[in-house]
Amino acid sequence: MIEFQNVTLSYGNNGVLTRVSFKAQFHERIAILGGSGEGKTTILRLMLGLVRPDEGKILIGGRDITELSESELKDIRMKFSIVFQEGALFDSMNVKENVAFCFREYANYSEDQIEERVRELLRTLGIENAVYLMPEELSGGMQRRVAIARSLAGCKPNMMLYDEPTSGLDPLTAENICKLIKELSKGGPPDRMGFIIVTHKVTDAAKVAERFLYIRNGSIIFDGNITELKKTNDAELRNFINELYVAEQCS
Amino acid sequence: MNFRENIARLQDFYLLSIKAPAGIFRRPFYFREMIEQMDYMGTGSLFIIVLVSLFIGMALSLQISAELSTLGLKMYTGKLVGVSIIREIGPVSIALSFAGRVGSGMASEIGSMVLGHQVDILRVHGVNPLKKLVTPRVVSAILMLPILTVIGDAVSLFGGYYIAVFVSHQSGSFYWSQIRDIMDFKNIFSGIAKPFIFGYFISCISCYMGLATRGGARGLRKATTTAVVFSTIVIIVADFMMTRALLLLLGESV
Repeated sequence: MIEFQNVTLSYGNNGVLTRVSFKAQFHERIAILGGSGEGKTTILRLMLGLVRPDEGKILIGGRDITELSESELKDIRMKFSIVFQEGALFDSMNVKENVAFCFREYANYSEDQIEERVRELLRTLGIENAVYLMPEELSGGMQRRVAIARSLAGCKPNMMLYDEPTSGLDPLTAENICKLIKELSKGGPPDRMGFIIVTHKVTDAAKVAERFLYIRNGSIIFDGNITELKKTNDAELRNFINELYVAEQCS
Repeated sequence: MNFRENIARLQDFYLLSIKAPAGIFRRPFYFREMIEQMDYMGTGSLFIIVLVSLFIGMALSLQISAELSTLGLKMYTGKLVGVSIIREIGPVSIALSFAGRVGSGMASEIGSMVLGHQVDILRVHGVNPLKKLVTPRVVSAILMLPILTVIGDAVSLFGGYYIAVFVSHQSGSFYWSQIRDIMDFKNIFSGIAKPFIFGYFISCISCYMGLATRGGARGLRKATTTAVVFSTIVIIVADFMMTRALLLLLGESV
């Protein structure tokens, strides 16, 4: 269980989040929606203990992570894996080394075993041919796939966190990434690996998520499913999800 | 930035300066990264160090022999060049070149990793960025700068020899005998102790500035510039303080 209790955060004089509260299960498929700079990514960073809130509690599996030291956070972070916007691949390493990074850190595999496991993972994600390419030689879609492969290598997270996974991608590639995200979270609750996707692309979020949170001015304005989202009375939110209505009409 | 933030940053720097070198005694050990850094810092800096040292040695020899010849003492050029190079100019000039090349490289590399969320990825996967990124750089700088200084000093002495013999028309064997005379424990110890400290300061300052990078390309530029400027100031101030301390320690009168 993940629980945010009145979390407030500001950078200097700029308020980022104001008394944000919500609960989520690890198996849930959640989309956090909102415009740029509204604090969506910050929620993911707070969840991983990468930043500490000014006020409030963040409970992960019943433990308040705001009180934990960096070494104590290690166990909490193992429950998650994150794919940052643009992939955040290690740019001095090729694809194989990027994915092998986690195998090298976590397990005492031989070089042959690492090679085999990396290839297997890349094959599953459909990018086996990119094994010796450098990150700058990859397309946006491939970078996200490599980042997903790396996030799954050597660990079995309870929940995946995606930061704008489809931004900057063409519609077809974005569609493929959405399929991949859904595929990785297949199965039924409570055993499946859930995810939180942070995005401003409402149609992509609607393809994968079952629960939607909408953030505005650092506060959660909406929390509900797709039917409730479409029926919202909030004028600004209706405007934000307008493309959803358009897509519905087109279909 | 307010006073409280400055104190917090100073505290972070202090912790990094202690934890980074201490990291070499605790698992996991990142030998691969350390070898890579040693290659980058040592082999990669060799050409620039040799070039800088050669010209410093030649310029110094030229200036000293010109001054001494007015007194009729230019045969002592080797002695003055040797002491200046080994005790002061060699360690400082090589540390400054090292800060310009390696310090800026460290700050910009780590800074771009921070901005690209690569450092966050390390933390998420349970890897301590201090151990993975900073310890290998600090240890490599502490080891490589003294080696580069010894090489640089040797090249400077050869530069001085060239000028003394072929320009100032002095005796080559007398020049080297003067150099041999000043090669005692006090001079060598004074010259070799400094680069260890300079390497430590340069790497800690540069890594800290890299890790503290915020605010995109402009932030990266600021971090890199600050790393080089602070390193330069610290090298010069530390050189003075160490010179004073070493003179006292070695019982030399001023």
